[in-house]
Amino acid sequence: MVNELREAAGKLLDDGKVDLVIGWAKGSLPLASTPVFISSSDEADQLVFDSTCGNNLTVYFTKDNKKISRDRKKVGIFVKGCDSRSLVLNITEKQLKREDVTIIGVPCSGVIDTRKVRRKAEGREVLEYSQDGDTVTIKGKEFELSVPLEELLSNACLSCLRKDAEEYDLFIGEPRKFSGESDPYSDIEEYENLSADERWERMNEEYSKCIRCYACRNVCPSCYCNVCFVDQNDPQWIGKTPEITDTMIFHIIRNLHIAGRCVECGACERACPMDIRLLYLNRKVAKEVRERFGSDTGTDLDQKPAMADFREDENQDFIMG
Amino acid sequence: MSNSYIPVPMKVKRIVIEDPEKALRTYDLIFQNEEDRKNFKYMPGQFCEWSLLGLGESPFGIASSPTEKDFLRFTVNRTGSVTNEIHYLREGDMVGLRGPLGNWYPVEKFKGGNVVIIGGGFAFTTLRSLIVYLLEHREDYKDITVIYGARNPDLFIYRDEISEWEKRDDIDVQLTIDNPVEGWTGRTGFVPTVTKEIGPDPDNTWVVVCGPPIMIKFTLPVLVDLKFPDERVYTSLERRMKCGIGKCGRCNIGSKYICVDGPVFSLAELKEIPESV
Amino acid sequence: MIRIKKENISGFIEGLMSDYVLFAPVKDGETVSFRKIESADSIAEDYMNTDKSPKDIFFPPAEVLFSFDSGEITKNECSEKPFAVWGLRGCDVKSLTLLNMVFGTARQNPEDEMFQDPYWKEKYDNALIIQTACNDPRSTCFCNWFGGSPHDGEKADILVIYIGDAYLLDPKSDKGRKYLETVKNTEPAAKKDIKEAERLRAEADSSLSAVFELDGIVGRMSGLFNSGVWEEIGAKCVNCGACAFICPTCHCFDVQDEGKGKKGKRIRIWDTCMFPVFTAEASGHNPRELSKDRLRQRFMHKYSYFMENYGEHLCTGCGRCVVVCPVNLDIREVAKKVMSYQS
Repeated sequence: MVNELREAAGKLLDDGKVDLVIGWAKGSLPLASTPVFISSSDEADQLVFDSTCGNNLTVYFTKDNKKISRDRKKVGIFVKGCDSRSLVLNITEKQLKREDVTIIGVPCSGVIDTRKVRRKAEGREVLEYSQDGDTVTIKGKEFELSVPLEELLSNACLSCLRKDAEEYDLFIGEPRKFSGESDPYSDIEEYENLSADERWERMNEEYSKCIRCYACRNVCPSCYCNVCFVDQNDPQWIGKTPEITDTMIFHIIRNLHIAGRCVECGACERACPMDIRLLYLNRKVAKEVRERFGSDTGTDLDQKPAMADFREDENQDFIMG
Repeated sequence: MSNSYIPVPMKVKRIVIEDPEKALRTYDLIFQNEEDRKNFKYMPGQFCEWSLLGLGESPFGIASSPTEKDFLRFTVNRTGSVTNEIHYLREGDMVGLRGPLGNWYPVEKFKGGNVVIIGGGFAFTTLRSLIVYLLEHREDYKDITVIYGARNPDLFIYRDEISEWEKRDDIDVQLTIDNPVEGWTGRTGFVPTVTKEIGPDPDNTWVVVCGPPIMIKFTLPVLVDLKFPDERVYTSLERRMKCGIGKCGRCNIGSKYICVDGPVFSLAELKEIPESV
Repeated sequence: MIRIKKENISGFIEGLMSDYVLFAPVKDGETVSFRKIESADSIAEDYMNTDKSPKDIFFPPAEVLFSFDSGEITKNECSEKPFAVWGLRGCDVKSLTLLNMVFGTARQNPEDEMFQDPYWKEKYDNALIIQTACNDPRSTCFCNWFGGSPHDGEKADILVIYIGDAYLLDPKSDKGRKYLETVKNTEPAAKKDIKEAERLRAEADSSLSAVFELDGIVGRMSGLFNSGVWEEIGAKCVNCGACAFICPTCHCFDVQDEGKGKKGKRIRIWDTCMFPVFTAEASGHNPRELSKDRLRQRFMHKYSYFMENYGEHLCTGCGRCVVVCPVNLDIREVAKKVMSYQS
C-alpha cells in the first residue's frame, strides 16, 4: 500500500495536478508518524501510512492564517475517514474550495493512542513497533509483547463507523462503504448514567489536569477562529490560569463551539500531553446534535453544519419545552 | 528583599489635555512616600509601568527630566483598556507605578558634541525629558537642534513649552506638519524629508530619533545618507512588555530584552538585533 | 557516601517531610508529576521521568504576585518551611540552575536586587535539591549533548543512586552534607556498593546515543535567521504550547489582574512565544505573524540567545518535548537540520 500511495502522490505532482501533497512520514519515535509536505515526486518516498498516522492533516488548511491555501493553489491531501469529514466540513464552511484540493483516501483500520501502548508496556519505554494485520508487536529493553490492535486504538476509532473517506478523488485500495448502522455511543453511556454531581466531579477531574497548552485546539481542523475567544485580550472573556474555573470554561466553550462541527477524529485527545479524556464531552455533544438534527458532520458537501442551519421541521422542543 | 513587581503609590497632581480629540493627556504624578521618592533615580529615556490594580499595567516613557525634582510626567494616548482607565483619572486620584525601567539616552557620551533630536507625534515624551535635561546642562553641549513633526498643528504635545524653546537662541526648534494649513508658519512635510532639507552636519553630532515606526524607518536612511555613523544615531524601541525587569520574555528580540537592554539602542546595535526595525 | 537499605528509605523520606515541604514524583492517572507529598507511599516508582517538569515547584503555572484591596497591596507569604525535592533527574536539576540564572540574578547587574525575582528566590534559595541518578535513560534523552550524564549530580545537594537493595546518598554540597549528618539509621557505603554504583553509571552512560556537536550553533542560527530553514522546520508545527509548558527551562510568563472592583490579585501565568497573542499588539499588528517566526524565536532562545547571554544552552536534553509534540517536531532534528542546512 505504501508504494501505491507514494506513486499516487508522485504522479499528481508530476502531472501538475497539485503543487503540494500533505501526508504522513515516519516519525523520530517508534510510535510516531509526522506530517510531511511534499512538493516534488522525488520526495514522495517519505510517505507512509499505518496506525501511527493519527494526525488530522486537514488542520493545515486553516492554521497559520490559512497560509497553505494562500501560498498554494492546488493541494493534494491524504485522508482517513475522519480527516475527510473534516475536509468536507471545512469546504462547507468555505475555508477552502473543493476544486482546489485533491483528496486521496487511505484505508484506515484505526490509529493507536500512544498512552494505551504505554499502559500495555507498564511504563517501560517502547523502542520498536510493528504491525501485522490486526496484531501489533511492541518491543523494548528486555520485553516483547504482541497485542491485538483493537486494544491500542484511540477511543475515537473504537466507535468509528465511517473508517474510510466517502468524499475523495483517489483512493488507495478499495474503500469500505458506510454500513448505515448508527453509533450506539456505548463509550459515553457510563458517563451519561452518572448523576449530575458525579458528572461534574468527573469533568473536574479531567479538566483540572489541563495546562492550557491548547494542543487540543491547535490540532483540531474545526478550531480555526482567527482569534480564539481565550486569546481575546480586550475585552478578555476568560481568565488565563490553569485553574479549574478557567480551564473548565475553555473546554466547555470550545466544546460548544464545535458542536455539530466535531468529526470525532480524536486528534485532540491524542494530542493532549496531560491525558485528558476530551472525547467524553465531544462525543456527548455530538450525540445530542445527531439525535436532534440527524446530521452526520462532514458527510455531505451540500449540507451546512447542524448549528449553522435552520429548518422549520426540525425538533424545537429545546425552545418550546 | 526588594520586590520589583510591586508598584509604589503615586498621586495625580495635574492633568493637561494635549489635543482637541482629548486622546492625549499629560499627567504629573507625585510620590506619596518620601522613601519611594528618594529611591527613584532616573535619566532621560527610561520608562515606568503604570499599574492600575484590577486592570493591569502599561509602559510609558518618562517625559519629565531628573532635573525636575517635584514630579514625574507622562503623556498617555488612549488605545486600550488600561489607557482608557487612565483617562478616567482625575487630579487627586491614585495610581501605582513601577520603575524607573530600562536604559537611557547616553547624555554623558553626548558631552562636548552637537545633539540633534528628531521626534514625531506623541512619541515626544522621553525627548522632552532629554531636551529639558540638556538645557539644564546647557554648557556641556554644543548646538542643540530639535526637529519635531506632527500630522497637524493640534497634535504637537507640550506646545507651551515648545513656544518657550522657540524663543531661546541656544536651541533651534524646527516644527513640521504633514500638509499645509492656514496660519501655519512652520515647515511642511514629513519628518524624513524635513531632516534631509535641514541636513544637519554629522561632524561631532549625536542624533536621537523617536517616533512612530514608519517615521523611524524612513528617517534612519536619511541620516545614513547625511553620513552619520551608526554609533551616533540612537532610537528607542517599543514592544509589548510585561515585567519590565528582563524575566517574562515578552519583549525579547535577538539576545536582547528591550525592557532592560533597551529601550534605547544605537543604530549600530540595532543592526545586530534581528526583528528590531 | 552513605547507604540506606531499601526498606528504610521511607524513614528518610518522612524525615525530609518533617524538616521541609517535600515535593516528589506522584502518579496521576497515566502521568507522573511533582507534587507536594504527605506520605512516603505516594511517591511514584518505575517512572523514567515525570511528564511535567519540576519547574512548577518554584515557578508555578499561576502565581499570585500580590493581592489588593482598595489600593492596599499585600504580598502572599511563602511557606515557613523550606522546600525539598526528591526524585529529580540530572537534566531537571540543571534546568533549575538555568532558571536561577534568569530569576535569581540578572546578567545586567547580578548584585542589583531590582533584577532578582523574590518569588523564585524565596523558594529556590533555601531548597534542598535531591537528585536520583538515572540508571535507565530513555531513547529520547540527550543530556550528553549539553555536558550532562545520567549519574552526574554535581549541581544537586544530594545525589541518590539506587542499587537494587539500597540507596546510596552522596552529598554534593555543604547543604547536602549538613543534612545527611542529621540523618539516622544510615551506614557508610561499602566498597561493593560503590562498585555497583560505578557499574550502573557506566551502563547508563553507554546507553545514551552519541553526542551531537552543537559548537557554532549560535553563529549558524543567526546566519540562518532569514533563511528558508525555519519554514521547512516549522511547516508542520501547529503552534500549541505543549513543548513550552512541559519544558523544564521555558520560563516566559504573562501578568494578569483578576478581581472585581477594588479587590483582586495580580497573577503571573505561564505563557509562550509559540502563541500568536504573545507578541500581538493592540493595533492588530503582530511582529511574529507566522508560525515559523514564533518557532524560530523558541529554538533561537534555546540554542542561540541564551548562550549569548549566559554561556549555556537553554535546554538540558530531557526529551519531554520530543515525546509530547503532537506533530513529532523533534528538537534534536531541529538542531541537526540547522547545523547542516545549506541555504
